[in-house]
Amino acid sequence: MKKFCYSAFIAFWSCIATLLAVNVLATGEKGATPATPGYSLEEVAAHAAEDDCWLVIEGKVYDISTYVARHPTPPSVLLPWCGKEATEGMRTKGYGRDHSSTAWAMLEEFQIGVLAESAP
Amino acid sequence: MNNKALAHALLWLVALAPAVVAAFHAPPASSAPGDWLNFLGRIAGIAGFGMLLVAAAVSFRLPGVDRWFGGLTKLWNTHHLLGCGAFLLLLVHPLLLAMAAVPLSLSVAIGVLFPPDGGGAVWLGWIALVSMMVFMAPSLGFFGPPKYQRWKSIHRLSAVTAVFGLVHTLALSRSIESPYSQWLWWTLATLALAALVYGLILARWRHRYPYRVSVVHRVAPNVVELSLEALARPMAYRAGQFVYLCHQQRNLHGRGEEHPYTLSSSPDEAVLRVAVKDLGDASRALQSVVPGTAVALTGPYGDFFPKSSGRELWIAGGIGITPFLGRVRWLAGRGEAVDIGLIYCIQDEARALFVEELRQLNATLPGFNLTVHYFYKHGPLSSDFLRYHCRDIASREVYICGPGPLLQLARDLALANGVSRRRLHTEEFNLL
Repeated sequence: MKKFCYSAFIAFWSCIATLLAVNVLATGEKGATPATPGYSLEEVAAHAAEDDCWLVIEGKVYDISTYVARHPTPPSVLLPWCGKEATEGMRTKGYGRDHSSTAWAMLEEFQIGVLAESAP
Repeated sequence: MNNKALAHALLWLVALAPAVVAAFHAPPASSAPGDWLNFLGRIAGIAGFGMLLVAAAVSFRLPGVDRWFGGLTKLWNTHHLLGCGAFLLLLVHPLLLAMAAVPLSLSVAIGVLFPPDGGGAVWLGWIALVSMMVFMAPSLGFFGPPKYQRWKSIHRLSAVTAVFGLVHTLALSRSIESPYSQWLWWTLATLALAALVYGLILARWRHRYPYRVSVVHRVAPNVVELSLEALARPMAYRAGQFVYLCHQQRNLHGRGEEHPYTLSSSPDEAVLRVAVKDLGDASRALQSVVPGTAVALTGPYGDFFPKSSGRELWIAGGIGITPFLGRVRWLAGRGEAVDIGLIYCIQDEARALFVEELRQLNATLPGFNLTVHYFYKHGPLSSDFLRYHCRDIASREVYICGPGPLLQLARDLALANGVSRRRLHTEEFNLL
């Protein structure tokens, strides 16, 4: 049992190291990150529909239009946040529970810019 | 299933209850591999943390309570299994969650493990996980056999794992509906905390007995038997139980440290006796303890023998004779006939402990039959030897105590000779 646990311990760190190494190699191939555009809250507010849904979360602007249908809750839960500052919804889900780190990591995939006021 | 097996099963049930509830409440979102991996990752985390908290709750020595589980060594065996299970599941937990996100993209998978912004709860999870690796490393022998006292200090880091793990779990749990999730986790955490408070504070006060060394009897060059007299109320115990002893002799190694020793005296005696073999720093130091030294005893622990005596076969190896010595001294004191065979396994006559006293009891206690097995003369204990000296072994209760290899061999031989597992009782010295 002890040997098995030791093997699992080594295997764990090997997996973590492999994931990180592959990610570094894959990121290196992508080249330079394009400049991040800035959007004002008014511009974001123009995208407040189920099939055209932008959100502002912690100073970043996301276009989750293609994701709304895949979200675990019905679209009616997300719709009131479309076109708005939605940090509270993301951090609390409406009942004090943060979204998972998977959800936060997924969100990064949908970033299209930053809030103009907080843009550099 | 007897009551003791039920008690162990109950521990597993409590440990796994949150995982079972979560599995029913939040099954995989779809049959896609990513959703299944995510489901398994969540369940692994919940099951692992449940096992960790229950392992923590049973790690505190509560005299008397251990007997519900067949003795402290049996209870700690379950503690070890829960701990190992928790270790493996909590290692798998983040890996499965990361793998589940790989179909989305590699960067999402990395983001699950190492959130780029915020994600404080995930980092708390990492602190819990890494502290678990640190405190479990000596227990799992990652760096060779640990020194008892150092192991004990490092194992206290488990409190960090429990606290950070709890915050991580409460902040992120989504598999069980709120507020049931909080109820479940707080119940388990309270259980662990109550055991901590009781084990470290109340039990110390209620089950700690001041004694003084009255006689130091040298049994062999590396074994002493200490006679201890009570300074206040004496400890009530049963033959074959053990205590944690903490000596107060200045300039002697291990002062103030607690170490377990088996009681070799009969509960009917005026003094309490422990036999101590030089097996490590602390037991080596006790070879030089002087009469008059104050000691504190905590206990008693263990549930090796039943209250009444029946048809029994005892198999002892080396210093593993101690609980049997206590038992036979007690039976001799009662003056009733018994039906007990004792096979005492030693390397040679020079290493025999208490053998003169045992031979005397063999001659005076009706129904007590001593057989000494010499390794250098008879070779390893064998089926033929057992059957020759105990023809009706299959119908006896068999009790085994001794070093690991002998214990395993004797257990295998007893089973091979028709002894049912229910009738087989072992006491293991290795508490780590």
